[in-house]
Amino acid sequence: MKKLLLILAALSFNSFAEIAVIVHPSNDSALDEKSVARIFTGKMKSFPNGNQIIPVNLDNSQAATSEFNEKVLKRSESQLKAYWSKLVFTGKGTPPQSVANSEEVLKLVSTNPSVIGYIDASKVTGDVKVVTKF
Amino acid sequence: MRTNAYLATAICTLLAHGSAKADIDFTGFASITAGKVLSGDGVPHYDVPPTFLADYPIVSAYSEDLSFKQESLFGLQVKATLSDGLSATAQIVSRGADSFDTTFEWAYLSYEINDQWTIQAGKKRLPLFYYSDFYDVGFAYVWLRPPADTYTWQVFNYNGINALYSGHVGDWSISSNFYTGKEESENNRLLSQFFFIEPTTEIWKDIFGAVFNASNDWLELRFTAMTYTNERFRSGVQQTWGGKTERDGTFLGMAINATWGDTFLLTEINQLELDDDGELDSLMVSIGHNFGTFTPYLSYSKLDQTGDYLDGSPISDGEDHDTTSVGIRYDFHPSAAFKVQYDVVNDNSYEYAVAGDSKALTFGIDLVF
Repeated sequence: MKKLLLILAALSFNSFAEIAVIVHPSNDSALDEKSVARIFTGKMKSFPNGNQIIPVNLDNSQAATSEFNEKVLKRSESQLKAYWSKLVFTGKGTPPQSVANSEEVLKLVSTNPSVIGYIDASKVTGDVKVVTKF
Repeated sequence: MRTNAYLATAICTLLAHGSAKADIDFTGFASITAGKVLSGDGVPHYDVPPTFLADYPIVSAYSEDLSFKQESLFGLQVKATLSDGLSATAQIVSRGADSFDTTFEWAYLSYEINDQWTIQAGKKRLPLFYYSDFYDVGFAYVWLRPPADTYTWQVFNYNGINALYSGHVGDWSISSNFYTGKEESENNRLLSQFFFIEPTTEIWKDIFGAVFNASNDWLELRFTAMTYTNERFRSGVQQTWGGKTERDGTFLGMAINATWGDTFLLTEINQLELDDDGELDSLMVSIGHNFGTFTPYLSYSKLDQTGDYLDGSPISDGEDHDTTSVGIRYDFHPSAAFKVQYDVVNDNSYEYAVAGDSKALTFGIDLVF
């Protein structure tokens, strides 16, 4: 019984996993939910300090991706694909590059002050700075 | 036409020599659509059999026999990104309505001056209506195709230059597009095959247009204006209007889209004033709701021609048709959607009848890759 409760607790914790939006430690930008949504829909291209923004997506197979899409971008995977199709095929925008897993996001964010990414909050390390959590 | 060939060559050259630093991306879209007229009157006095004209510019005309080729298409986009904000893009589209002949629909260079401004030059889609420039990408919208009564204009590409702006004011994202150019459409499909039944060259020149778009997280507003000068040759003979070989047109449009949670409303209202054709007003209203991967929708669209001919006599029986549609989109895959739609068309004009009344069923799959 105890075991079952633990499993249930782990499962429910998983489905409400917190998402951390991360940047390079030197990046002092304050970003709210709307700014993050704007960055990942191609509407904001520079940080408040003037540096170029390179957003990095997590692969669609990762749980954090659908969590981020639903919570922050307020769109399902196919709605997001429809949104980007409209921009890509009219020459008005390009979706962020996707990488395979959180380790790759951490590597890119910790080595490039322009990169912004999101990962499961439990995977954050000291090499990156958390701007906000959802 | 020659300009297009040059552009295509220029882009191919860029692609070939860009290997030094160019990133080359291939993306694409496809639609496999089938449909038929369930019942229809046609236009007996113009020898038009029962027809559902699903798409005016491409002349996707369904008959009482099931057809898979009217709206099926395959598009491939190649984008070469060079350094310093420069890129070259070509879009090659193969349409069932053209027996799958392949043509360059877009071929342009794009230069990002800064975060706000981008200059583009080449062959592009004329951004008249809200859905004009991604009309071929069915996956990007809910219906089988944007409502036909609204999307009736025979010219849909142009060669020219445009400046795109994007920025934001508070919570509003702002984007604008300013464009100018020309299009010479030889053997224009709609005019040659449907209206005049003779080879017709349609020229739109001195095109000047602007689009202004503002959106926040639930509301989107789009305003547009465009002016152009029209010349037309039917079987090589230049047409005149009120004794002149040229006539002017002015297009105005507004679109308002709203989202409340999973419910959405899409609207568009447009007006074209064209010498000797009076005033053509069109509107479209659609409403839908996302139930997870299923999105049922209802839609109504209408076009109505009024006003006077250049000699002062009234256009008493102008073009007048409307369509009521009901359909459902099913996102069975993150990159593919199945759609089925039922359309009821009323064609109310005798003199300017287009395809007559009809009831039609169309269904298909749209995908992007």
